[in-house]
Amino acid sequence: MSIFVRNALIALGITILVMGTVAYAVHYTNQQRLSEISRMQTQLSTDTLSLETQFALLENAPCEDISDGTSFSQELSNLGDRLSFTEGRLGSDDPQVLELKKEYALLEIRDYLLMQKLSTTCHITPVVTLYFYSNAGDCTACNRAGYALSYLRQTYPRLRVYSFDYNLSLGALKTLIQVEKVKPQLPAFVIQGKRYYGFTSLDNLKKDFPKSLFATSTATSTVSKKK
Amino acid sequence: MAWSPDILVYPFLFIAIYFESFLLVTFLSKPAREQRKRTASSDTPKVAIIVPCWNETTTIASTVKSLLALDYPTDKLSIVLVNDGSTDDTPQAMAFFADNPQITIIHKENGGKHTALNAGIAASPDAELIGCLDADSFVESDALREIVTCFAKPEVMAATASMSVHKPKTLMQRMQYAEYVFGIALRHILSSINGLYVTPGPFSLYRASIFKELGNFKKAYQTEDMEMALRTQRAGYVIENALRARVYTKAPATLSKLLAQRTRWSSGFLRNMLYDYRGLIINPHHGVLGMFILPLALSSIGGSIIIFLVSVVLLGQRVFDGILVISGVPISYAFTSHQLSWFYFPANSMVFLGAILMITTISFMFVGKRLSRTPGILVPNVIVYVLLYGYTAPLWLMRSVADVARGTHRAWRY
Repeated sequence: MSIFVRNALIALGITILVMGTVAYAVHYTNQQRLSEISRMQTQLSTDTLSLETQFALLENAPCEDISDGTSFSQELSNLGDRLSFTEGRLGSDDPQVLELKKEYALLEIRDYLLMQKLSTTCHITPVVTLYFYSNAGDCTACNRAGYALSYLRQTYPRLRVYSFDYNLSLGALKTLIQVEKVKPQLPAFVIQGKRYYGFTSLDNLKKDFPKSLFATSTATSTVSKKK
Repeated sequence: MAWSPDILVYPFLFIAIYFESFLLVTFLSKPAREQRKRTASSDTPKVAIIVPCWNETTTIASTVKSLLALDYPTDKLSIVLVNDGSTDDTPQAMAFFADNPQITIIHKENGGKHTALNAGIAASPDAELIGCLDADSFVESDALREIVTCFAKPEVMAATASMSVHKPKTLMQRMQYAEYVFGIALRHILSSINGLYVTPGPFSLYRASIFKELGNFKKAYQTEDMEMALRTQRAGYVIENALRARVYTKAPATLSKLLAQRTRWSSGFLRNMLYDYRGLIINPHHGVLGMFILPLALSSIGGSIIIFLVSVVLLGQRVFDGILVISGVPISYAFTSHQLSWFYFPANSMVFLGAILMITTISFMFVGKRLSRTPGILVPNVIVYVLLYGYTAPLWLMRSVADVARGTHRAWRY
């Protein structure tokens, strides 16, 4: 065997090894991301359950001992950011991503319901927004709408945004869509119980929110990312 | 997952990694190791160095002085200065050396570099070895002894030196400095398996008999050095490389000049390959050159262009989408919206493979510089190379492909 042939074969072996290692490293990193999301979801799930239990235990005077959940909302939002990033890398049809998205949507719905209870019982007045988007290529304005909402949520902490993939196959989400009577015209927003469709600009979106949100909130510079 | 243009990049990344792996293995193989152990020759065959000149007033003196300073017996070294119809003060600059018995000066009508070289060959009937040195280059004093060593074996018909950029100043020159030291390693490695297909103008030597056997230099699409090397290879001879024979050249200082030079080189390569030396490609009779180096060199042109176009498309897409998404939202938010976390590190295969390629290339640069003992500082020039090369090389490659496709022939200097 000539030196050339020998070297060419060894080089081929090295190349296959390098490509294989890179493929494994990328797969490993993605798995780590999914594990991280799963871990965060488990933590948030426990926190939600704890909050619900706390609420039940202090039924008579719950409000003094329950915070308004701002930090919890931040965590939920961070989790959403990470999920969105992972979805972008692995694709919206990845089974693990879909599973995590369902869990995330459930977590959001539970927090939404709990927030409704808290606002009634404790006279907390968060501005609640349900945001419905689609990744199926049928919503050109969704990225812009998500980014604008992220900005508003970070700037005005009283604003609680719950984002949902309209096409996600999840019973609880379908029910929420039905209850809120959200039509498949995306992006769709349910702001303080009123429905709005489409997105043109941040300024126009702001008009759909109660003026009190912008009057009383303090601007912050917390980090966030579009959903 | 949806189709994305980056899928086009992966085959070329595979080829590039394969080529660099091959270089690494060959670098560690016995022939390359033995080449590195070689010491300068004490043999002193008669050598003639031809310096073709066309409007080289500013550089010719330092070129000739470096040749006169070569550590070589003066009675064995002759220098032939060929004025190829210069229109500036080159004849006067040459006249300064007219009294030197080692130097012959020829004035002729302008006919192109190959005619100047052939005039020099004709004026050197006694030389055993004939060298060329571009008039914008100069040599280290031990370069000739180092390169003469390559001719110990009778089958060696040509030898190349280790070229580098002298005192790079502009960004383009800095980028080329890094590129040239990579070229030193590349030439050393490929020569160990007889895979060279260019004998560059800055200080390549030929056994004089090759011109009698294979003929003189040809115009060859203005790449006479490449054509002569390909002719030598086709005849079954060996082209060697002298790792420590250092020669310094003046590199184009601006992008437009660099584009002009590299378009000439690349289109010359393509034309030589497609028209005159097609028979070498994937021809087992021509060993590593035919089966490996030339096919890879051709595919690298396509690969570089595709990788460049895909990156431009992807980058353009991202920038366009990004601007669309953030429009209307205060710009300051864009700078606060990314968390510093491993989670958001863009770890995809293209990033990893690109990084591996870049690290390997930079390692070869350090190896080339160290083994050839080339002077200069590498790190800042490597940084310029990393930032600019990927976006400049495809420009001349695309222009060359377009020239060849349209049959455009550009002047040597334009």
